[in-house]
Amino acid sequence: MHAALSVIVFTVLSGAGLGAFAIVAADDLCRAFIARIDPSLPWTVAGSVALVLVVAGLCASTLHLANPKNAWRSATRFRTSWLSREAVFALLFVGVAIAYLALRWTGVGGVPRAVVALLSLLLAWTVIHCTAMIYASLKPIRAWHTPRVPLNYLLLAHASGVVVLVAVLRIQGTGSTTLRAIAIALVVAAALAKWDYRRYLAGDTARVTLEAALGVAQGVRPAGAPATVAARLLDVGHSRGTFLTREFGVTPTPRNRAVALWAMALGTYAIPLAWLASGVRSPAMAVGACIVMLAGLFAERWLFFVEARHTVRLYHGEHRV
Amino acid sequence: MKLGLVIDLDTCVGCHACATACKEWNGASAISGPLTDDSPYGADPTGVWFNRVRHYEVGEYPGCKTINFPMSCLHCEDAACVSVCPTGASYKREDGIVLVDQDRCMGCNLCAWACPYGARELDPASGTMKKCTLCVDRIYDTALPVEEREPACVLACPTHARHFGDFEDPQSKVSKLTAERQGFGLLGELDYKPVNRYLPPRVPPVTAPAPAPEAASAGPLSRLIARARLALAG
Repeated sequence: MHAALSVIVFTVLSGAGLGAFAIVAADDLCRAFIARIDPSLPWTVAGSVALVLVVAGLCASTLHLANPKNAWRSATRFRTSWLSREAVFALLFVGVAIAYLALRWTGVGGVPRAVVALLSLLLAWTVIHCTAMIYASLKPIRAWHTPRVPLNYLLLAHASGVVVLVAVLRIQGTGSTTLRAIAIALVVAAALAKWDYRRYLAGDTARVTLEAALGVAQGVRPAGAPATVAARLLDVGHSRGTFLTREFGVTPTPRNRAVALWAMALGTYAIPLAWLASGVRSPAMAVGACIVMLAGLFAERWLFFVEARHTVRLYHGEHRV
Repeated sequence: MKLGLVIDLDTCVGCHACATACKEWNGASAISGPLTDDSPYGADPTGVWFNRVRHYEVGEYPGCKTINFPMSCLHCEDAACVSVCPTGASYKREDGIVLVDQDRCMGCNLCAWACPYGARELDPASGTMKKCTLCVDRIYDTALPVEEREPACVLACPTHARHFGDFEDPQSKVSKLTAERQGFGLLGELDYKPVNRYLPPRVPPVTAPAPAPEAASAGPLSRLIARARLALAG
């Protein structure tokens, strides 16, 4: 699949913002019932950074549209479309998040704030899930049509969100070990989920062949030939690129793929983990860790797109997708 | 109604007449606007097509067969392109035709991703998704002679490999052809319930091999001829 930069920016930034905001809201909810996850968590800065990330991502997402003047209509098919749900819940989240920050700013506490905190937490999770389900609901793309996709999106959003929070804490000069421990757990969980996803990607389940796409078993074969006979493309019918080749025909070069895999492994998982485990040193390194993690996530998201192979590639001559 | 096409892979010669007739008719269609081309006479021409013909070889030489494979929208009963559309631009009509409302589409590409057949193409000139309309502006047009109220691709096909009709009517030509020739839908395992049917190549009738001309089993006439030959040679 073609990897649109705007969609990569959107999913990475909004994911991190939603994950960070969910943790800020969860921290407040925990305070209402047990104790704060991290008493030093600077909720104004953290909540604002998270919201800015979400809004920046949402703005980037509109750049992906070929006809953005109709974007307002995207709220109208809420009942069937995950993209419509994402748009509706994302806008709701922004509204509720602003209301939540206003409540904290004005010092309102008690039940009203706990309700708004819970609402923003649930909305943040819902938006991440909707984004992932846009991909996971697509049956023609095997790499995406798996529950591993929403799991990865949820874990990566929270892992990147919590790293942003730890960095904010470090820059402010505070920070407890609790949030750091949560961050380590989330990054490790995200890495395990990615390992499982890549195992599925390389595996053999739910693959479709050119023969199945042409109906060889249904009789599209020479008379007397067995139903298992192989097919191959003779001529694709177009002489130059088409929308289909540009959108679905993308294959990463082995070199780019290897570079992206290393960037993902180091940037998203290994380097942030090393920084967290080594006791979150220096504010400069905190900024560095955030940038490295987001860069790693850009590589992760790029791979998510370019490694996904749509069934139309079969009709263009690929033997299996 | 369940309108759709039957495509006969036995008689299709892969001439692309259906694809060009489609491009010609729909290029001027009011339903989805022009099918724009980018640098049509340049070094790297590209453009929007509703119908594309590809060519495959099935089996190994010498027991192989060339299959010409035209593909356009299959007007699925369970059309994911419609359910994923966030704006409601993609819709399915009562008669089964799947269309894109060009005034509502925001060009997000999600419907094209959801279609396993590559039936939808984004027109970068209008920023909207375009697809086969089953020539909805021909098939109901009472100003046209009855025999011309068919999709342009069906009318253009020189080998009558394309047929148009209502699959819900068991007496329609398309229903009968599908039943007689074991017509099938593409990628049934994805369960989109495509309406268009493809007819597999016919299997030539198997004829019993001619018996060897042995004197013992030969009929009276051949025995007579054989005897005459012997007499003439003798």
